[in-house]
Amino acid sequence: MRNWFRKASVVQEQGTLPALIQYYKKSGDFVHFHNPQTPQPFWISYFGSLIDVEILHRDILPYLQQTALTSLEAVRAALPFEDVLITSEQKKIEDALLRGSVLIQLDETASICALVRAEMKKSREVTIPEEEYSVVGPKEAFVESITTNLNLIRTRLPITELQVKEFTIGTLSKTKVAVLFIDGITNEENVNTVCQRLENLQFHQILDSSFISQLIEDNTISLFPQLIDTERPDRVAGALGEGSVVIVVDGSSHVLIGPISIMELFNAFEDYFVNWQIASAFRLIRVFAVSFSIMVTPIYVAVLTYHYQLIPKDLMVTLVSSRRNIPLPPFLEAVILELTIELLREAGARLPSKVGQTIGIVGGIVIGTAAVDAGLTSNVLLIIVALAALASFTTPVYRMGNTIRLLRFPFLLLAELWGLLGIAIAFIFLMNHLLRLTSLGRPYLEPIYPPRWKDLKDSFIRLPFSKQSRRPHFFQAKDQIRFPAKKVNEVKDIDE
Amino acid sequence: MSIQIKDEFRVSPFLVLFLVHGTQYGIGVLSFQRDVASIVGHDAWISVIITGVILHLLIWMMYSMLNKDKGDLITINQHTFGKWIGNLLSIFIIIFILSHTITVLRSYIEIVQVWMFPLLKTWPFALVILLAVYYIVTSGFRVVTGVSFLSVVLPFYLVFTFFVPIEFSNFRNLLPVFDHSFVEMARSIKTTALSFSGIEHILFFYPFIQKPESSQKWAHYGNLLTTSLYLLIMVVTLVFFEHEYLNSVIWPTLMLWKIIELPIVERFEIIGVTSWAVVMIPIICVMFWSASRGIKEIFKVKQKKALVLLLFICFMISCFLTEREMIQQFNKWQSEVSFFILLIYIPILFVCYHIRYKLRRKG
Repeated sequence: MRNWFRKASVVQEQGTLPALIQYYKKSGDFVHFHNPQTPQPFWISYFGSLIDVEILHRDILPYLQQTALTSLEAVRAALPFEDVLITSEQKKIEDALLRGSVLIQLDETASICALVRAEMKKSREVTIPEEEYSVVGPKEAFVESITTNLNLIRTRLPITELQVKEFTIGTLSKTKVAVLFIDGITNEENVNTVCQRLENLQFHQILDSSFISQLIEDNTISLFPQLIDTERPDRVAGALGEGSVVIVVDGSSHVLIGPISIMELFNAFEDYFVNWQIASAFRLIRVFAVSFSIMVTPIYVAVLTYHYQLIPKDLMVTLVSSRRNIPLPPFLEAVILELTIELLREAGARLPSKVGQTIGIVGGIVIGTAAVDAGLTSNVLLIIVALAALASFTTPVYRMGNTIRLLRFPFLLLAELWGLLGIAIAFIFLMNHLLRLTSLGRPYLEPIYPPRWKDLKDSFIRLPFSKQSRRPHFFQAKDQIRFPAKKVNEVKDIDE
Repeated sequence: MSIQIKDEFRVSPFLVLFLVHGTQYGIGVLSFQRDVASIVGHDAWISVIITGVILHLLIWMMYSMLNKDKGDLITINQHTFGKWIGNLLSIFIIIFILSHTITVLRSYIEIVQVWMFPLLKTWPFALVILLAVYYIVTSGFRVVTGVSFLSVVLPFYLVFTFFVPIEFSNFRNLLPVFDHSFVEMARSIKTTALSFSGIEHILFFYPFIQKPESSQKWAHYGNLLTTSLYLLIMVVTLVFFEHEYLNSVIWPTLMLWKIIELPIVERFEIIGVTSWAVVMIPIICVMFWSASRGIKEIFKVKQKKALVLLLFICFMISCFLTEREMIQQFNKWQSEVSFFILLIYIPILFVCYHIRYKLRRKG
């Protein structure tokens, strides 16, 4: 079977241009016509679904019809385009046609032709970021077109050092992928790692940047995202300035940033728009919320199943009275409630937004109250599970939210098995997994392990900008200095 | 004859502090007070200080050998005693380390069985912990170091809990000072050897440290930290418990935690035992790493295979140690051997190595 296909493609490659055109004509949207009326007859062909007819009518056909076309060079001179390609190479011709070029022949039998770019540029308007919305700060978000996205980034970094390396990936999708970095700041090792992995990539369709991130991550089994995707151009520009490598994928409104450390998952870009004290407080709250979200239901199960001695008398009364009529053991109670919340989330995410709200109300309020009234769950656990769900939404990176959702269940299982000890063991496994993870070869847990005190300035907390004169050590940037640090002022006395 | 390790697998010298402290500070902390106090009573804190000082000396000895040899225990043994006897000695040390892992693992499981889950079966729990150890050790030395680092830093809050019983203590318990003879002191030092052992792993991981010569001060700091923590716990135990009562308590540290009461937590010792799972993990990991690394070098086999074999032996023996008396007996032997390795073997090796070194230079 495979040989047949191979032969077919070889035959096609060896065919002449007219044969190729005959082959393309099998597709209904391929246009090939002859114009004999003009001073010099010419043939023109293109994919009708790919080109902008207006460009053809306005900028190509009038010139072709008015001028005497003696040769393809004359065509090039006549047309108001800067890059008319004249070639007989079939691969180039095919590429150009599929990217929206118009093919012009003066002789239908010749294999040489001119190619003029007339692709239809269609893209959404630049809109407000929806996933990473912030009250302060710029309100632009990436769109699906790679040209627009590159424009959004380059206008924020108008320097020649910003370099773009382009790749075409996907045997079917032929997706344009661009790797961005700042020459002189970004460590070449990181750039090479990304380029190497992209070159070695064998895949049929790249439909979104998440495909790329899943394919080139260091550990594809891990639950944790090892590249961040963002829809904010300002975040990308900031990351480039720190020394990251950025991957832009055509057709995707999310841009990938790497390498990252785990602390990056707790950073919203909004943190840089507000006061450093407030930003630091928010970051600490997020770290707390994430650990709370993972641990709290397992702790409830562990304590109520095995360690009720841990709870002081007064608290015990509340817990016991809320659980008095519940027929289920704590573990089942917790699993059922957690699954209900997951159901609600999944249903809410799959439905159109207006219906989704209704589902939220029905699920959250009606089912919640009814379940407590019916004596299926205790209201204490209901509060705990709801809080845990709420806390998991605080992480600014959407993929991290999914990780937290799933991570809770192994903890729950081990808590049922060995109580608090089970949680400790699950924690040991998690800790080791995080220690083992790398992102583009850089340690994932970075400012924590390997311990680098200086990088703590922008991790759990964010120190003021004046203290950030050096780039984080994590990126191993070639140029460590962001801006010259202010000299330490002499200590002034009162009224001096 | 130095051992060259690729730079990407090495760790920075500062982390030796956590490796040394992490391997010393483990299961012994929960129970070492009684054995020492049964010999020297309220002077036990002095013997802790003396042991700490002796260990500083041992660290100095080990580094003076390692800095000359640029290798590890196996090469030092070979250079000192020749290939055959040297390797035989190394194998003995590896067996000692293996039995030490059994002591740590089985003692911890015993504590869990006594304090938390009386019906807990040994084998499933041992299996899961050893699986975690396999996962950690196969990730390489950097991760083993990382586990030591986090396991020292994260449960460090437990140190503050040792200050709580001071409120209910009687410092007169410490008087009169120097009430015991030198022989008794020496005998008490022997009992602390097991709690303090762990520094011998420097002999294995030395080649895995960047600029290893500069790591010596960190090793000393690590030992200093261990000694001060032991001293703190010992003093608090001595002033908190009556001497006669202390003799009947198997795990005095856990008893200390019983006094702690927080607004949302009673019975703090459960939290303590749970946290101790995290504290004890790096000890087992570093030990298995050292032992499997040693086997790899002596027999030229894959470290992974050696590790699996060691884990299997540890698992089997841990499961066979069922009775409390057997575990006690095992720990006692282990303590004797620890004493022998630390305080007799290493000094002898030190002397012999330097004599050989001088002779070789002349010749």
